[in-house]
Amino acid sequence: MRKILPLLIAAHIFAFCKPAAAQVHTFDVGLRFQKSIGLYYENGVTGQYNLTRRWALGVTYVTSRLGTAWGTNAIKQDNVLASGTYKFRPAYALQPFLRGNLGYFTADYGSPMFDSLPHTSAIASVDGGISYQFKLPVKVNLSLGYNAITGNGASGAGTLYPVFYQLSVTYNITKL
Amino acid sequence: MKKSILFIFSAALLFPACKKDPKFTPDMLGGSSELYDPSFYTPEKYLISAAKPNPTPDEAKKPVIIVVHGYSATTFEWNEFRTWAGGRTDFVISQVLLGGHGLDYTNFKSATWQIWKQPIMDEYSKLEQEGYTNISLAGSSTGATLLLEMLADGYFNNHIKPRHVFMVDPIIIPANKTLSLVDPLGPVIGYTTVDNSAGEEKYYFHYRPYESLQQLNNVINIVRKQLQDGVTLPANCTLKVFKADKDDTADPVSAVLIYLGTKTSTGAKVNVQLINSSLHVFTRLALHDPAPTTQDVKNQTDAFTDIANTITY
Repeated sequence: MRKILPLLIAAHIFAFCKPAAAQVHTFDVGLRFQKSIGLYYENGVTGQYNLTRRWALGVTYVTSRLGTAWGTNAIKQDNVLASGTYKFRPAYALQPFLRGNLGYFTADYGSPMFDSLPHTSAIASVDGGISYQFKLPVKVNLSLGYNAITGNGASGAGTLYPVFYQLSVTYNITKL
Repeated sequence: MKKSILFIFSAALLFPACKKDPKFTPDMLGGSSELYDPSFYTPEKYLISAAKPNPTPDEAKKPVIIVVHGYSATTFEWNEFRTWAGGRTDFVISQVLLGGHGLDYTNFKSATWQIWKQPIMDEYSKLEQEGYTNISLAGSSTGATLLLEMLADGYFNNHIKPRHVFMVDPIIIPANKTLSLVDPLGPVIGYTTVDNSAGEEKYYFHYRPYESLQQLNNVINIVRKQLQDGVTLPANCTLKVFKADKDDTADPVSAVLIYLGTKTSTGAKVNVQLINSSLHVFTRLALHDPAPTTQDVKNQTDAFTDIANTITY
């Protein structure tokens, strides 16, 4: 029972949560916390523009400088992403979503000695998860993603890993 | 690579409890006791502690280098160094067989990375007890990762300090990033296979059980985090990293992590050399298919010369 209780609660929230006012032409900004499975925490900022009830466009910057590399010897790497999000159940507070991301990755290897190694890359990824709109103008997104471009030892940046998960907490600044 | 990831994902969804046992032929390491690593039967031909347990004072001062092979390999991986050294009498080589390696598949499957590491510590400790005072270490691939773990874990705090440490194609970041998913997906795939040449089949495991891949993933993650926190070498110990600049097993960025995360006891950066090579463990050329190039031979000779010159300087 203890194991299925969280599932029952989640199902209850999903099925019965009250509809929320659909947000159109609003802009959410906030923080993103991301972890690649087997590698770094990379954190940063994100902004999402709600173009229609179902579609949102976004930009994100996450970096290991604000994650694992903060105060450690980890590689300092930066990711800039543009994204398009499709929302399911747009009239509800709890919205599953799918997102496609395109962007650019760069890593600082700390010495010109490593200039010959690939340290930049395009990013093409997809992630999917759930978004919850609180009564406050605050939204929380949880998702699991897959990076289509990773390094393989001969080409591609070596610290781009395939699977990541992330949490975003955003605030609707059009409510300010 | 991408197709294999998609396959593994779909397999994970469809066959959550699938587990297979591989089939061996008598020509494969693990398929017959006749192919056990020879150091198992005649350790005195491989380990200095067994060959010369009571060194003379002059022998005890002579440089000894413990060489350590990588994951799923055997002592064969460093045979060419011994052959290259030939009749040199100014240093001696001790070839260690990692725990769980070089025997049967069951041993390999059940061994943890701590078991892999144990024979390195055993040999180092025996040499120290026997009176050897000038000991260096060299590791290839996972052998190098294990040496880094020993350095980070403080093993040498209570032992004589190694003079020099060499790493050939150390693995901190795997080239195949699917390894990062081995914990959840390993039980589904059971094992992976390697395209060894016919000759290599006798010295390198053809099958890699997910249990040992999980151990590999564990130790490289532990060492990566140790490097993030910083590793300081013992006093007067040097470190040289040789890393192929294209490597389909150990991503070359592994050398970057070691460079950023390790310093000498005086705070200096360690020595890293990128090698123009696409071979993993570029110092092992025997049985490669296709045959090594002139550049490969030069790379090997240069690295061996560098190691020998450093330990005998």
